[in-house]
Amino acid sequence: MSIKNLIICIVILAGLVALPHFLAYNFQDLLIFLAVNVLVVVSYRLVTLTGEWSLIHVVMMGVGAYASAMLSKMAGFPFWISMPIAGLTAAGIAALLCFPLFRMTQFYFLIGSFAAGEAIRLVWIYFIDPFGGSSGINNLPPPELGDIDFYEPIPYFYMTLIIVTISLFILYRIEKSRVGLTLNAVHWKAPLAESVGVDTWKYRSLALIVGSFFVGIAGALKVHYLGVVTPHQFGIGVMVFVLIWVIVGGYASFVGPIIGVVVLTVFDQGLRASGIVDPAVQPAVYGAVLIASILFMPEGLEGIGKRFFSKSSGENA
Amino acid sequence: MELFLQSIVNSLIQGGFFALWAVGLVLIFGVMGVVNFAHGELVMVGAYTVWLLHAQNDVPFLIAIPVAIIIAMMIGLVMERFLFRPNRTDPLAGLICSIGVLFILQVIAHEVGGTGPAKQVAPPFNQIVEIGESLRIPMQRLFSLGVAIASLGVLWFFLTKTKLGWALRAVALDREASALQGININRISMIAIGVGAAMAGLAGALMAPLQNITPHMGHNVIITAFIVTIVGGVGSLSGAVAAAFIYAAFHTFVTAYFNGTVATICGLLIMVVVLIIKPTGIMGVKVSE
Amino acid sequence: MALLEVKNVTKQFGGLTALNDVSFSVEKGEIRGLIGPNGAGKSTMFKNIAGFYTPTKGEVIYDGQNIAGAHPCKVSGMGLVRTFQETTLFDEMSVFENALVGCHMTARSNLFSAIFGSDRQRQKIAAEKTMDVLEFMGLADRKDQLASELPLGSQRALAMAISLNADPKVLLMDEPFAGMNPEETNHMMDLTRKLQDKGITIVLVEHDMKAVMGLCGYLTVLCFGSLLAEGTPEEIRNNEKVIQAYLGGGS
Repeated sequence: MSIKNLIICIVILAGLVALPHFLAYNFQDLLIFLAVNVLVVVSYRLVTLTGEWSLIHVVMMGVGAYASAMLSKMAGFPFWISMPIAGLTAAGIAALLCFPLFRMTQFYFLIGSFAAGEAIRLVWIYFIDPFGGSSGINNLPPPELGDIDFYEPIPYFYMTLIIVTISLFILYRIEKSRVGLTLNAVHWKAPLAESVGVDTWKYRSLALIVGSFFVGIAGALKVHYLGVVTPHQFGIGVMVFVLIWVIVGGYASFVGPIIGVVVLTVFDQGLRASGIVDPAVQPAVYGAVLIASILFMPEGLEGIGKRFFSKSSGENA
Repeated sequence: MELFLQSIVNSLIQGGFFALWAVGLVLIFGVMGVVNFAHGELVMVGAYTVWLLHAQNDVPFLIAIPVAIIIAMMIGLVMERFLFRPNRTDPLAGLICSIGVLFILQVIAHEVGGTGPAKQVAPPFNQIVEIGESLRIPMQRLFSLGVAIASLGVLWFFLTKTKLGWALRAVALDREASALQGININRISMIAIGVGAAMAGLAGALMAPLQNITPHMGHNVIITAFIVTIVGGVGSLSGAVAAAFIYAAFHTFVTAYFNGTVATICGLLIMVVVLIIKPTGIMGVKVSE
Repeated sequence: MALLEVKNVTKQFGGLTALNDVSFSVEKGEIRGLIGPNGAGKSTMFKNIAGFYTPTKGEVIYDGQNIAGAHPCKVSGMGLVRTFQETTLFDEMSVFENALVGCHMTARSNLFSAIFGSDRQRQKIAAEKTMDVLEFMGLADRKDQLASELPLGSQRALAMAISLNADPKVLLMDEPFAGMNPEETNHMMDLTRKLQDKGITIVLVEHDMKAVMGLCGYLTVLCFGSLLAEGTPEEIRNNEKVIQAYLGGGS
């Protein structure tokens, strides 16, 4: 990463550390969910890097959430252990699903991933023992560390910020490495990559597994703040939001989806606060935003930003 | 025994609906290559139209049905013109746009219907038909089955015996070749989505007196339509109809003897299995590399 | 002992027979031309050799092993690399990145080294090797340009560079001269000869007769999926059956 970008990151981080102290209580909540959603969206981008659009990502978040919930509440594991295991569980389920799912491509993969995700969600709804059925599992214990009260948003936010930052750093390293290069190659022209020895199935699986690992962690982070995990937190509606963030923000670069989720979250809050739009109508606004983005802004916000800031093509790789 | 016979009847009636749901989706995907994620919402629109006209404004049921069909069809045509046509080269973009429409239609339904409990339409045909000693079938459900089968028959006739129908099938088989032969792809796409949306609207209209009407009733429709379409074969209408009745029987019996959620889980798993083994479905045609 | 031997390969797609009992063998170090009128099955043969299709019948013996139906990345792992008809590149990646993908087999990272950068040395060597290949193909000065922005001749050269970076022992070149003007054709012919000098065995599918006659030591002619004739360029040029096939089929 260039020095300039590194400085920008540090400044943003510093700003985020200071920010909660200037916000009202419920906005502090929001910061936590925003941080979690950034991880969701960046981990999703890794999955899309291979050219496939999966609809199972948010369910994988749920897999992690349920794993952490069950380990911490029923088996007494501390959060610091249940959270990474949440990631590993999601990664493990993803690994199993690679075998059936990656025999499909494009549209079929989309439908297949949707079906698999929906089936998992219905399993949570049907099996009241141990998943709690439709009501899920509540009274999830928060993390414990010395005297820190993790019921409070600011400490929880700082913890989330640290975990998300480390995760983003890892994801960034992967993307900039040879592995990221190969994933991109598989995305652009899989047969060409195969002709020089790339095992495209292995790389697609890698993207899905690593992406699921991080979104599983995001799931654990989310539900341990809320204190409850239910199947409805991970339905197709939420998956669509992820799609909207990624598409509106743009997914050509690492920061595109981050821009998307931040801008749309701020936009969402602004919409609520202004009272212009009845909350019940908001999904329609998002539907319109999604359509407008596809039709008029195919490169997303980052595409607009890139054109605005760069003076000549090929300036920044 | 009673449960068994009743389940058979229920399977047939459900099959009729599943077939109507799936056939619309297959037409749109087959001819235009795009998945209309808002298909369930077109059904929902049909149901809401009947509720609004017939239950709320005393418009006769038999008039409300064609109005529902027309409204669904018009929404479909608008989607084709403004969302699918500009994205013809990127069907994924079309799919995502249809998700946007899904949200918009749900909100419109919510506004039209207001908050509160699910809407209900009193069945206009409220006699009960009795067969033998134990079988009691509401006339309304027989009516819907009859209309469903009749419509499928009309569709079959249209597709196999008319010139326009042949054009539709030609485009579904090979769009480029059809265009080279002089077939107007825009016109055919509009007809495909018009017919597909019409069938969805019809299904919704028929469903209105038989179930709770909510803005989210389309969710179940799209899932079932996907399962049926994939299992029956993405390009194959006859496959979809056959799969519709088979899946309806499967789902009805598993629900009756076991549990509805389990039935859907199994349905989804079957779909995944079919996708693995033969993505183009039981009767579909394999697309070459 | 031939390096590459195609034995009685038949390929059927449903009712269509694309290749019918074709046999030929390629010696190490030669430039073999695989020619024939349109629809003869030349590209299909390449796909069957490189693992993108599985022959319905028959064997493909490479380096002593039957590779018929093997996975493409296994075949390239053994040194048999195929290029693609119509320029096939990683569009939105730079020239350097495109070529860098080519040496995947020697320079791949695992997840650990990707995150922690522990294979820096190997990546450095890969980068140097890639620059060597780009210089060989005359693309070194364009290394940061986007692949999609290159002129046609450079795009073809880049496609070649990607394949070259994979250290091929056998290169299956699929119509590399298509759409080139005489100057570009000459340049490409020189490059191809330089590849042969490096010890690479080449099988060339091509319609451009100047390139074919100028480069190939031996020709294998396919027509409608069957083997029509084999011989030196001189022999083939005067072969009645071949002339008929081209005149009749239209090329």
